[in-house]
Amino acid sequence: MDTKVPLSKDTYIEELKKKFNQSPDLICKEIQLKQQTLVIHFVNYQVKKDLVERDLLHPLTGARRSWSVEDLKNKIPLASSESVQSLEDITNKLIHGSVSVYIEGVPDVVLFALPNLEQRALNRAETESLVFGPQISFTESLVTNLNVIRWRLDTDDLVMEKIIIGERIPSEARLIYLKSLANDENVNTMRQRLRDLVVDQVEDTSVLSQFIEDSSSTVFPQLITTELPDRFCLSLTKGRVGVVLDKSPTVLVGPMSLFDFFESTEDLYMRWNMGTFIRMLRFFAMILSIMLTPMYVAALTYHYEIIPASLLISLGQSRATVPFPPVIEALLLEMLIEFLREAGARLPTKVGQTMGIVGGIVLGQAAVKAGFTSNILIIVIALSALASFTAPSYLMGSAIRVIRFPMILLAGAWGLIGIMFALSFLVIHLLKQESLGRPYLAPIYPLDLKDFNDFLYRTTFQRNSRRPDFLMPKDKERFNDQKANQKNDVRET
Amino acid sequence: MNINLTVKKGESFRAFYLFFIVHTIQIGAGLMGVPRVIFAEAGSDAWVSILLGGLYLHFIAWIMLLILREYENADILGIQMDLFGRFMGYVLGTVFLIYVFLILLTVIRNYIEVVQVFIFPEVPVWLMALCLLFLMVYCLLGGLRVVVGASFIFFLLTIWLSLTIYKPFTYMDMGHFLPIMEASPMEILNGARVMSYSVLGMEVLLFIYPYIDNKKNAALPVHLGLGLTTFLILLVTVVSIGYFSPYQLRETVWATLSLFKIISFSMIERFDFIAVALWMMVIIPNIVLFGWMLVHGMNRLYNAKFKPTLYGIAGAVFIAAVLIEYRMNINVLTDITSKVGFYLVFVYPLIVYIALMVRKLWRKGRSA
Repeated sequence: MDTKVPLSKDTYIEELKKKFNQSPDLICKEIQLKQQTLVIHFVNYQVKKDLVERDLLHPLTGARRSWSVEDLKNKIPLASSESVQSLEDITNKLIHGSVSVYIEGVPDVVLFALPNLEQRALNRAETESLVFGPQISFTESLVTNLNVIRWRLDTDDLVMEKIIIGERIPSEARLIYLKSLANDENVNTMRQRLRDLVVDQVEDTSVLSQFIEDSSSTVFPQLITTELPDRFCLSLTKGRVGVVLDKSPTVLVGPMSLFDFFESTEDLYMRWNMGTFIRMLRFFAMILSIMLTPMYVAALTYHYEIIPASLLISLGQSRATVPFPPVIEALLLEMLIEFLREAGARLPTKVGQTMGIVGGIVLGQAAVKAGFTSNILIIVIALSALASFTAPSYLMGSAIRVIRFPMILLAGAWGLIGIMFALSFLVIHLLKQESLGRPYLAPIYPLDLKDFNDFLYRTTFQRNSRRPDFLMPKDKERFNDQKANQKNDVRET
Repeated sequence: MNINLTVKKGESFRAFYLFFIVHTIQIGAGLMGVPRVIFAEAGSDAWVSILLGGLYLHFIAWIMLLILREYENADILGIQMDLFGRFMGYVLGTVFLIYVFLILLTVIRNYIEVVQVFIFPEVPVWLMALCLLFLMVYCLLGGLRVVVGASFIFFLLTIWLSLTIYKPFTYMDMGHFLPIMEASPMEILNGARVMSYSVLGMEVLLFIYPYIDNKKNAALPVHLGLGLTTFLILLVTVVSIGYFSPYQLRETVWATLSLFKIISFSMIERFDFIAVALWMMVIIPNIVLFGWMLVHGMNRLYNAKFKPTLYGIAGAVFIAAVLIEYRMNINVLTDITSKVGFYLVFVYPLIVYIALMVRKLWRKGRSA
């Protein structure tokens, strides 16, 4: 299969050109020395040209001697050099930013890697922004991401296994975990799924996660994709397994429980009581977001008896002019909110904000004035939409928003019974989910009271000395909590 | 058929969950109307009946565990085969399955009737049955892990309902209980007997026992679960007797649900609507666990495949639930079921235990 490097200079140049489909970007430079001819190849924009000139061309032409392969490898001041014999290898390396040096008549070609990677600098996190705490986010470059992870977790415990994903357009992925913590079964499951994956290409980690997740039919994400290095590293130190994929600005972590999707690293950076309060707030917001609109629809369509008399009057007044049944009314407004969200996400930032205000205020006001909806429904819908945005994970927030629509329809069809049916279905559905084969509803089911601290609420760090049982880490103790509680400072008397 | 079961590692669960399994399978359709039923037999001394009945529950659970512990890892279907022979084993096993089918049917039908009376008079039976059976099938497809999980989570989601009883509690008239011990001992025993429909389901222990991880710790959660069931029935009945006048209580079919009527919060005026709807979550563990017993039993007895059996059973329950409307009264069916259940659950284990002991003595005698 592999084509040998031809010994004649002209055939070599011709063959390589063919390999590159006559691309004008393949630069070929011949250097005529006293006793021999060298041919240098590189792809114009893939290499750092100034380095090529300074560290390669200069020594090559400046030396008054003839070069052998060994000389090239040893005497040229560049870190990575290797010699290959097949044209395919040379082509492959050239694409990835190497410079090849061919000595006429020698079957070995020496390659120097001088890749010029276009990448953006480390930026502030956009989708998972924190109020305080570390601000940087991952970028699209694998090397940069690995660099950041190594920098945060500078221990020899850190394992980074290389796995190539994709047949046609291969991307390099790294399976990352802490050797002394991560449960072997979890690591094996993740590794197995990555290795067994047969696809032509994977665009991004979010695509990758959809390929390897336990269940594809559910709306709930089972692995977290995050752009925050601190969140990624925190997960690893708890004993989770991570995946970093080249060309993707987010990384993948698992196994995850449903409750992890409501956790933000900010909970840790705040004091424990604030953290707990905010966590509770998020859970409450989720329940509210799912239940509020369906309850409104159910109560107004079938069970107006459950609304207290004082509230019923104002509700009746505001709904008096509305010509639709509540379910249509609610769906209309929910659609409006979803349109606003989607439009805001698609439009350029400056226009988006204005559009949000125009759409939200003007449309909402006009809808009420025109008698399309009731004032109270606007409050209800705005509350539940707002609540759904409190989820730290964008995927989970979207899942919550999607669940609402069937629930509204069921509430419109069978009232409270419909809501209960939907909720029961939801609970059973969640019970059936798994993340990397681990139960999704942990630590509620299977019940593990010790894991409540960390999954459902936070206590002081001194008390939180254990890693969660859910992940079955090899070392459960983070530190000795007795010692952590000792205070040996001087007391003023 | 093997007498003992081999259980794979992932299929078993901790004994701790037995508490929820035993409790949630007992509490269901029966609790909605139990005060009236016992009151009709034992009058204002219904609480004595419940206490007696509760004691008997613990006794039967003790006997059940004694039976199960005689074997290595067997359920009642296997034990029957071993004790009474192949033919009788099949007959008794089939009787058990028919009984479970009946109780599954009555639970679904009773709940549908409650929904029709309290919320939607017009809701078609087939629609509600379809919804409930859909949930059952969906849950059972997840295997025993999901079944046990459903019983656990739905317990957590509904147990708070019992706290709302404080409101009617404050309106109780203690005079309704006087004079104490008015009922004759026979009436009190009858009261304990009619309680049986509300506490049926503890036979799940005889089916699910092989799947428990730590069998040594099984007794405590079972007895606690039974204790909670007895307590809830006692609470509901006592409050009902105190809250309703005797005449009212005789006329109130679902006294427990009627108690919810006076509860109101600042945002919710009529709580009984929510309670009746929420009762679906009380019913689901029932349906799911009985459904599991049926499918599992069919598999054990007749080697029936899981999925076809599951769909077949769901279809059969659906057809039966729709047909009952025309052919048979739900109350008649419930009565029959509770009678069969009474003998099967509260008498039959004694016979099994005695037979087991006799055989043990006989074998001992022979070997000596």
